[in-house]
Amino acid sequence: MTSRDKILSLFRTHPDHYISGQEISRSLKISRAAVWKQVKVLRELGFEIEAKHSQGYRLLTTPDLLLAADIENGLDCQIMGQSVVSFPEVDSTNVQLRRLAEDGALEGTVVVADRQSAGRGRLGRRWESPFGVNLYCSILLRPQIPVQQASQLTFLSAVAVAETLNKVCHMSAKVKWPNDILIDGAKISGLLNEMNAETEQIHFVILGIGINLNMTADQFPDELKYPATSAFLETGETVNRLVFLQELLQCLDRYYSEFLTDGFIPIRRRWENLCNMMNMHVEIEQGHGSICGTVVGLDPEGALRVQLDNGQMERILAGDVTPVDKIDQE
Amino acid sequence: MKLRDLKSLIKLVTDTDITEFNMENQEEKIHIKRGSNQEVIHVSSPVAPVAAATPGAPAQVAPAPATAVAEPVVDDNYDSVSSPMVGTIYRKPSPDADPFVKVGDIVEAGQTLCLVEAMKLFNEIEAEFKCKIIEIVKGDATPVEFGETLFIVEKL
Repeated sequence: MTSRDKILSLFRTHPDHYISGQEISRSLKISRAAVWKQVKVLRELGFEIEAKHSQGYRLLTTPDLLLAADIENGLDCQIMGQSVVSFPEVDSTNVQLRRLAEDGALEGTVVVADRQSAGRGRLGRRWESPFGVNLYCSILLRPQIPVQQASQLTFLSAVAVAETLNKVCHMSAKVKWPNDILIDGAKISGLLNEMNAETEQIHFVILGIGINLNMTADQFPDELKYPATSAFLETGETVNRLVFLQELLQCLDRYYSEFLTDGFIPIRRRWENLCNMMNMHVEIEQGHGSICGTVVGLDPEGALRVQLDNGQMERILAGDVTPVDKIDQE
Repeated sequence: MKLRDLKSLIKLVTDTDITEFNMENQEEKIHIKRGSNQEVIHVSSPVAPVAAATPGAPAQVAPAPATAVAEPVVDDNYDSVSSPMVGTIYRKPSPDADPFVKVGDIVEAGQTLCLVEAMKLFNEIEAEFKCKIIEIVKGDATPVEFGETLFIVEKL
């Protein structure tokens, strides 16, 4: 935690109280001048801090920023958020977290930013990340599981994001295989997971999570591959980003702990309950052609199980799945 | 050795001026000899695989242990880089970008060679040591198997 975060944390633990400069200086082990400097930085960020002679500083109002001290305050997690690093602006939270991971950051480290200047998705696609409206965060995991099972984490983060949207924003988010989060067919979240591993050992996995929370219609770029939406556009209500992030981290924490002890089955069941195409007739585009069948569920590795029209079972490992009308052959 | 690996081995040998090639490990012995008009390829297994002796067993070769697949040493001078998981290989960071590496490139340890994606989890495959790219075995955006050779490299 930075000095700024520690001061903020002091204010948070003493709501509506004056804290003297001397007290802050003593508890943070920094000079009075440094305290004054940090208070100035906080004010520049939009915090309203009253300074009263002989009594000290008091926090009056807080801007809508995602700050490490606020995220850690009251967070009920075993693993997630052990360390939280927040930035007003960053190139990409995945890039920053990767750097920290390579320097040995602990499992559960979270990087969050109010804006990304180079937010990205799959295969270098851009992820629109305007200031202060959405959630852009990355979470570091160091699971001791076989490399082959790491892609199961894709489903874990998809389930946690969809369930948190449903809980906090009272929506009915669905998952599309493997990890698109859709509201009535429009994309609300982008999840980009990156792994660093050798043949037999995972060094780390980064769960990158972007969720359109309070984005307005004019903030979406004109050219998008998929129809997109935000929680605000769907419900008409502004989402408290801090509350949302804490709920999301707590949900990820529960499911990750469960995954480490009980394996993939509970996540698989939850994912199937949220899936938008269970038992539906679909077409799967696979580059060299397409196949048709009925979605049966996930297999133990996360491949989509599809019963082809000729009755044969097929495991889908890649491809775009879209619902189609079944053509009656008889 | 898988048929595919054997094919790449033959190709590697025939692409050079080598006329005779021998390789032996615990499982098999390979002898390739090239004359002016003839090519002799002989593969033998000193110990018959157990699966092959079972009546009615599928005729295909039983999968070799993971360690053996992961390290198909082609030549004393060459090493192979294999996929740690089933997925799709991407040789470029984005469809319009240049490939991470080309044949003949010299790469440093830790440099990215390609990405392997499995269900939206991207794994950057890095060079474990300084090496020269001898052969790129898999094409961009094609499926790869666990342990399948992606690159043949020469350790520098």
